[in-house]
Amino acid sequence: MTDLSIDLGKIQLKNPVMTASGTFGYGVEYADFFPLDQLGAVVVKGIRMEPSHGNPTPRVAEVSSGMLNAIGLQGPGVEKFLHGEEYMPFLRRSGATVIVNIWGKTVEEYREVAAALDADREGIAALEINISCPNVKEGGVAFGTDINLASQVISAVRGATSLPIITKLSPNVTSIADFARAAEACGSDMVSLINTITGMAIDVRTRRPKIANVTGGLSGPAIKPVAVRMVYQVYKAVKIPIIGMGGIMTGEDAVEFMLAGASAVAVGTAIFIDPMAPIKVIAGIREYMDEFGIKQVSELIGAVKV
Amino acid sequence: MPQHGEIISNEILKDSYRKVVFYVPDIAAKTQPGQFVHVKIANLRDRILRRPFSICNVTPDGMLTVVYKVVGSGTEILAELPPGTVCDLMGPLGNPFTIGDDDELPVIVAGGYGSAATYLLAQRSPAKGILLLGARSSDDLILTEEFKSAGFEVRIATNDGSVGHHGLVTELVADVMRENPKRKMRFYGCGPFGMLMALGKMLTRGGMDGELSLDHLMCCGVGACFACVVKVKDESNADGWRYARTCKEGPVFQAHKVYYPEEN
Ligand SMILES: Cc1cc2nc3c(=O)[nH]c(=O)nc-3n(C[C@H](O)[C@H](O)[C@H](O)COP(=O)(O)OP(=O)(O)OC[C@H]3O[C@@H](n4cnc5c(N)ncnc54)[C@H](O)[C@@H]3O)c2cc1C
Ligand SMILES: Cc1cc2nc3c(=O)[nH]c(=O)nc-3n(C[C@H](O)[C@H](O)[C@H](O)COP(=O)(O)O)c2cc1C
Ligand code: FES
Repeated sequence: MTDLSIDLGKIQLKNPVMTASGTFGYGVEYADFFPLDQLGAVVVKGIRMEPSHGNPTPRVAEVSSGMLNAIGLQGPGVEKFLHGEEYMPFLRRSGATVIVNIWGKTVEEYREVAAALDADREGIAALEINISCPNVKEGGVAFGTDINLASQVISAVRGATSLPIITKLSPNVTSIADFARAAEACGSDMVSLINTITGMAIDVRTRRPKIANVTGGLSGPAIKPVAVRMVYQVYKAVKIPIIGMGGIMTGEDAVEFMLAGASAVAVGTAIFIDPMAPIKVIAGIREYMDEFGIKQVSELIGAVKV
Repeated sequence: MPQHGEIISNEILKDSYRKVVFYVPDIAAKTQPGQFVHVKIANLRDRILRRPFSICNVTPDGMLTVVYKVVGSGTEILAELPPGTVCDLMGPLGNPFTIGDDDELPVIVAGGYGSAATYLLAQRSPAKGILLLGARSSDDLILTEEFKSAGFEVRIATNDGSVGHHGLVTELVADVMRENPKRKMRFYGCGPFGMLMALGKMLTRGGMDGELSLDHLMCCGVGACFACVVKVKDESNADGWRYARTCKEGPVFQAHKVYYPEEN
């Protein structure tokens, strides 16, 4: 029998496959497709204190082997997320392992969201800190690309909750390993990577950017080699578990991330193409393990032969 | 659940408009007028996302028709797919139009592929009404004969005056209102965003309502990604509006619930 269960230190998952934040809504949108408790974990769309409109449209554009998005984190705010029927109450009933992705416009807001979720923590397995959004106080510089700001955010969240925390790293930096080390030093229990890579696409007929926000985040198969490389670098830099993502479409893609050093993976853009993608990725990992006689999935972690 | 849909036929309807028939009994049986399918076109290569298309027609024997305009890479590839090719379809998705009572006159206001998206509505409406079809020129007029066969009167407006009324389709709406002062009417709109905004404003200003099919660039098609949003009124919000997902909360919206910027 192949064993897909995985130990991430502070949390145990029945298999290493999660959904990537922002690509699986709040879970309820996909509940008709498969039981959510089949997943290693459901990572919900980013939550902050207040409801937010998000960006003007168009918010997405398709590009070669991927897409750009600038959704702008539209969301209901933490109160509604905790108590609105289709959010946390639904997820609690579903039996899914839930990871809540959080963000804020100031360090203080990150702390507040973490504290609010901590106070109502039933059914929440961990918090994932999205540090890729701009800091309003610092004139819009992204928390995730400034190591001091990133450290402040992680420390603030750490101080506000005893829930396991995952820091989601931005790839839009020169040395992602430095940010992973900073996250580990600030008490982050895990790191997840990569968030989207900043990109841009222009309609040459109208000469206008294809998305209203001008620039957007690139995701999908186009970014996979970059993501695998970054997981490999971070694996060498830190001891805490890594959740790898970026363009995973199949079980073999997931195995590639694990060989590079990820203990678990997340499926994102692939869900838009096939809502069953996360389930197929789980099945694909199992097939790979059967083919190569691997009994426990953790044997794959960092097992690349360089 | 995504379904396999075999292409039964895929042919030119008129100019760049084409008509593809899929055999997908599960989706066809559930389809209500105004809903759409999200299609993973076979052989898309490096273009990876699904494409949304309104369902034009369904038959009891499991056939589902989509009328599409070739506008880009995905529809170009779709146009080349021969019968026998299998695509992957999700659907039926979205909220349907409300079918009126038999004493109500259905007035459908359409532009672009809007006539394809409302053909099933015309077919299933107990009372036969009027299709007001707007287009840039005669090239963009599709399905007029089909609507006539379904018992609808067809009136046309073109921007260049090549066929019918020279002007905007919304001007025909005013005519219909004038001609039927006593009749209970039910308005439906499907077409370019600007046309729907003009229609919605006209209806709500006149103290009437209607149903508008508003869509936007889609990605997931099921409410998860928040790509496809349009503004709807929301009094509980300080701004008076919120972004609603057209794939999940629409594509059909009540005209009086849509947010019209200039009015507010
Ligand atoms: C609910 C809904 C119903 C639709 N019904 C029809 C229909 O019945 N007939 C028809 O001809 N067209 C319809 N459209 C528009 C149709 O989806 C696009 O024309 C088509 O996706 C273009 O694909 P492409 O690859 O040829 O173009 P490209 O420009 O290469 O497409 C690139 C990307 O943009 C998206 N996209 C481009 N234009 C549109 C658009 N106008 N709306 C939504 N997404 C777009 C594509 O899905 C794709 O992800 C509908 C759109 C929606 C949202
Ligand atoms: C439409 C969309 C919305 C996203 N929203 C979020 C978000 O709210 N929070 C976050 O941390 N990451 C968000 N992401 C990033 C993904 O979680 C993931 O890191 C990235 O897309 C790479 O994985 P993929 O190539 O499998 O999609 C979003 C991505 C997409 C495509
Ligand atoms: S297309 Fe994803 S929410 Fe509508």
